Amino acid sequence: MKQPLLALCVAVAAPLGGASAHHSFASEFDANKPVSLQGTVTKVELINPHSWIHIEVTADDGTKAVWEVEGGTPNTLFRKGINESTLPVGTVVAVDGYRARDGSNRMSGRDITLADGRKVFLSGSAPR
Amino acid sequence: MMRGACAVAALALVAACAPTAAPPAAGTASAPVFARTPDGKPDLNGIWQALVPANYDLEPHEARPAPLDELGALGAEPPHLGVVEGGEIPYFAEARERQRRNYENRFELDPERKCFMPGVPRATYLPQPFQIFQSGDHVMIAYQFANAVRQIHMQDPGPAPTSFWMGWSVGRWEGDTLVVEVTKQKADTWLDRAGNFHSEELRVEERYTPMGPNHLLYEATLEDPKVFSRPWKISFPLYRRLEANVELLEFKCVPFSEEILYGHLRKGYRGREAE
Amino acid sequence: MRRGRAVMKTLVLPSVGVCCGALVSGLGHAQAPPEVFDPAYSPPRLPSGKPDLQGLWSNALVTPLERPADLADKAFLTEDEAREYQAKRVEALNRDSRPDDPEADILLAYNDFWWDSGTQGVRTLRTSLIVDPPDGRIPELTETAKARLAATPRPSADGPETQGLSTRCIYYATAGPPMLPGSYNNHYQIVQTDDHVLIVNEMVHETRIVPLDGRPFPPETIRQWRGSSRGHWEGDTLVIETRNRRADTPLRGSSENMRLTERFTRVADDVLLYEFTVDDAQAFTRPWTVEITSLRVEDGLMYEYACHEGNKSMYGILGGARAAEREAAQWE
Repeated sequence: MKQPLLALCVAVAAPLGGASAHHSFASEFDANKPVSLQGTVTKVELINPHSWIHIEVTADDGTKAVWEVEGGTPNTLFRKGINESTLPVGTVVAVDGYRARDGSNRMSGRDITLADGRKVFLSGSAPR
Repeated sequence: MMRGACAVAALALVAACAPTAAPPAAGTASAPVFARTPDGKPDLNGIWQALVPANYDLEPHEARPAPLDELGALGAEPPHLGVVEGGEIPYFAEARERQRRNYENRFELDPERKCFMPGVPRATYLPQPFQIFQSGDHVMIAYQFANAVRQIHMQDPGPAPTSFWMGWSVGRWEGDTLVVEVTKQKADTWLDRAGNFHSEELRVEERYTPMGPNHLLYEATLEDPKVFSRPWKISFPLYRRLEANVELLEFKCVPFSEEILYGHLRKGYRGREAE
Repeated sequence: MRRGRAVMKTLVLPSVGVCCGALVSGLGHAQAPPEVFDPAYSPPRLPSGKPDLQGLWSNALVTPLERPADLADKAFLTEDEAREYQAKRVEALNRDSRPDDPEADILLAYNDFWWDSGTQGVRTLRTSLIVDPPDGRIPELTETAKARLAATPRPSADGPETQGLSTRCIYYATAGPPMLPGSYNNHYQIVQTDDHVLIVNEMVHETRIVPLDGRPFPPETIRQWRGSSRGHWEGDTLVIETRNRRADTPLRGSSENMRLTERFTRVADDVLLYEFTVDDAQAFTRPWTVEITSLRVEDGLMYEYACHEGNKSMYGILGGARAAEREAAQWE
């Protein structure tokens, strides 16, 4: 008789190596400083240990500022067919995340979405 | 004819006595002797190292003082006739100006000092050994410096998704020469400590040819339409490390570079600004 | 709008997957290991006659290292249970869900498409990667090891050297040795020559060069983050002995006297059985053994992971700590 394993519930756990990412984001970003921005992509750095997507944000008064959005390792994306041309310069993206503790124009990319709400690298040729 | 046979015999004698001479064409009586893998290719497996001090400067150079006075003769740079065929690197005028500026600021700018991976061809002539692993279509080269490593794709890997510090290497055999095309290298690597540089358009064609059981001839042709007015070439022998039980050891130099990169952000730092 | 989406409250816990919920007991009787691999399988061979282990392998597995406490007696899952468990684990590991708590939200870092924890459990159907001791858990530490752990300072942002080795881009537990599944880039590549084996781990372009020619280990005074390894064949199993790791690369509390024995056996075209035993009487009250089934990656490549070269995060972490100190100083 099959024993239901339904109660083998699992909590999200940090992976076995002891590091859930290159480093804990809590040490770099501030939970008290959530940021939501919209802007155009000016540069995509598919580098390690973290990718960086640069976006230019235009304030209501017309002033422009460049923000750097921190993502994950690009190697996972490469294996899904994504490359440095996948997210073209000029694409409008919305970013939802947390500001860097050091006060710079850097933020975690907790959610990076296109204008139609799709997550950035899950569009186009990338498999879902 | 007798004269031809004597000439061939003389060549064989010369080859035996001057092992560092360029290898004669394969098939002649004096072709170099070296091991082969089961698939008939030259066996390049082993630990190799360059002896030319090309990492200081690819171009001809006299002895130079150390970048820091306090090092005295410890950090001084030995002289060399250079490894560039034709002598000088054929820069465009503006690029040569940039190389000179690089040289003047080489202590601050050299990525080697920061323990960044050296790229190709610099990895080949760093003063540290590297090891070639060759097993049919599985070919990789591990470098002692910074644990750098690269895969030589012997089957078409498709286009590189982005640029890399050690580039994107595709290899093939041409007779007894392993030919490796290296593209998509980050523009951040230098070619030596003298500020010789390249752009992201750099293409390198390397050639590894056995000269004998313990020597390889290394040739590299560099092409970069943004920086050089024509392709140019370097060449020198690679020597097999023959000590008993020689092995690559760990040269993870990150800790050696943390002070210069992050020291200004240390708790309690009181000093000059970051480089 | 973030808060409008369905939110699953998730807890981010340290490395052990702990269960919250009703106890599921096994059937109560001893479980024999299921026959999941063909005992008659013979691997492809190199011209030398040795098994061909070459190529690209991945350790992306959702099975936890230690058996969850609720499953104390249950060493194996049935195939149905494994499917169910894997599905739940994959769902739980999905980083697209946004917890209400910002601190928990930050820890999930970024969207799920960046990660690769895998979708499969270990092919042996075990409930933990640890197979010995029989309870599937790391043995108790010795008093010496406990004292050393207690005395070890926690990572801090005082400077780069007080950060973890992975934050500094020096060493990752994914590569070890021993190798352990991580959240991404679980890949490693093997090249075999007549007298060497090369294992390259994606994280952080770790190269393990293992001589097979019987040469001695280097002097004990030479300590490396990856230790020193020597290999030999036992039948169709590649055995690698590693010792003389640096004192600052402990494995769950191990000491610098740790002896690691790894075994690689190709048990199917697409499965490399990777086992390792930790023997460290100074740190653990008994040895412990792990079994991982590395899966072959046929259509994929391992890419360069240049970590130190692009480590902008270090500036962010140290700069953030210094900014917080300046702010605190203003209030004094």
